[in-house]
Amino acid sequence: MQTLKQKRGWSLRDVIFLAIIGIFFGVIYQVWSYAYYLIAATPLKPYANDLTLGVWIMAGPLAGVLLQKAGATIIGELLAATVEMLLFSSWGAANLISGFIQGLGNELGFACTGYRNWSKLGLLFSTIGATILTFIWDWFQSGYSEYHAGLLITLLIIRFISIGFFAGVLVYWIKKLVLKTGLNK
Amino acid sequence: MLSERKKQLNATILTVIMLGIGLQIAFSRSVSLNVIVVLICLLYLLYCRTSFKKIFVMLLVAFPLALGSWWSFIMFGTGDTWHSAWIYGTRVYAYLLLGSILTMTVSVKELLISLSIHAKLSETFVYGLLASFNMLSRIRQQFKLIQYSAQMRGKNYRLWQPALYLRIIIVALHWSEDLAEAMSSQGFSEGFPRTRMFNDPLPKWQLGIAIIVLVLHFGAAFLLRPW
Repeated sequence: MQTLKQKRGWSLRDVIFLAIIGIFFGVIYQVWSYAYYLIAATPLKPYANDLTLGVWIMAGPLAGVLLQKAGATIIGELLAATVEMLLFSSWGAANLISGFIQGLGNELGFACTGYRNWSKLGLLFSTIGATILTFIWDWFQSGYSEYHAGLLITLLIIRFISIGFFAGVLVYWIKKLVLKTGLNK
Repeated sequence: MLSERKKQLNATILTVIMLGIGLQIAFSRSVSLNVIVVLICLLYLLYCRTSFKKIFVMLLVAFPLALGSWWSFIMFGTGDTWHSAWIYGTRVYAYLLLGSILTMTVSVKELLISLSIHAKLSETFVYGLLASFNMLSRIRQQFKLIQYSAQMRGKNYRLWQPALYLRIIIVALHWSEDLAEAMSSQGFSEGFPRTRMFNDPLPKWQLGIAIIVLVLHFGAAFLLRPW
């Protein structure tokens, strides 16, 4: 059982580690937001949302895969969202709530494997969890319930591709690179 | 530092209001309520003497998002498209201003310490986050350094390349170890009681305000349901 390897609780080092990664993500989000803004100022905003969602979500699964403990995903995502809110973002209060929903979606995916699989299967479940939960959230929060069915289906597919790539494939590649360097103790 | 601001709402109270109203707004469908939330938050910002320029820039930066939301419902909406357009357009600003009553009137340090005192947020998190936030400018600089050093080798790290994130993780591993060690050697021990250097009063009437605000908004949003 992998639980033997998992440390219970959070050490100061883990917190600082995730916070620093969160701040790096804050910087990355700022770079990324220029592209987002260009599309988001037009009626194509829902496309911009779903196309870039994966980037906003990847901090969570990355934290989960690196620390491999229950709760790491949701806390990692919450930290990144907090950093983003405090660095100033135009989502304001929505940051923390969406961060929680996104983290929860990913976390549920890993929980489905009993926190035993932090590789392809865990990441697949995690991306599916995040896609479904964030879509339900946007159904209410961003008013997706008011859009045409055709647009909704397109959005759902785009969303899964975006989350699948950034929070799935890319995180998997990063994990493989980290393993190669032998840094994960 | 904390005691000078007695006339403002406590950071924990602001957090409760922000999250409580924020959660309700996601499900409420009212333009007028969104506008009221925006106005009250603006008044509070003015009361706290936030600079006009800051407020103006903030409102301006969010405008494309609000416009995009508004416009997308005119184009792709079903049912009462005008109503939806205004709901989701004003909602962007409601969220923005709800966030700003916290982030623009309270410092990160005050917020974290207030949450640790009143909301029992673990001190490992509070001081870990604080330590990391103090490195904000170094982290920004490091991000540029990572990109420059790649360019020296004739490469460009893109946001979708794992190598960029590997560099970030390596930096985060080193720095978190150094920082955690430095903090322990300065006497920070995890899970032990600390001597409090800060006084962060939370009078009962402020708790009352939070409850009244949340209940009023709930009643208005889900029982009265104005346009």
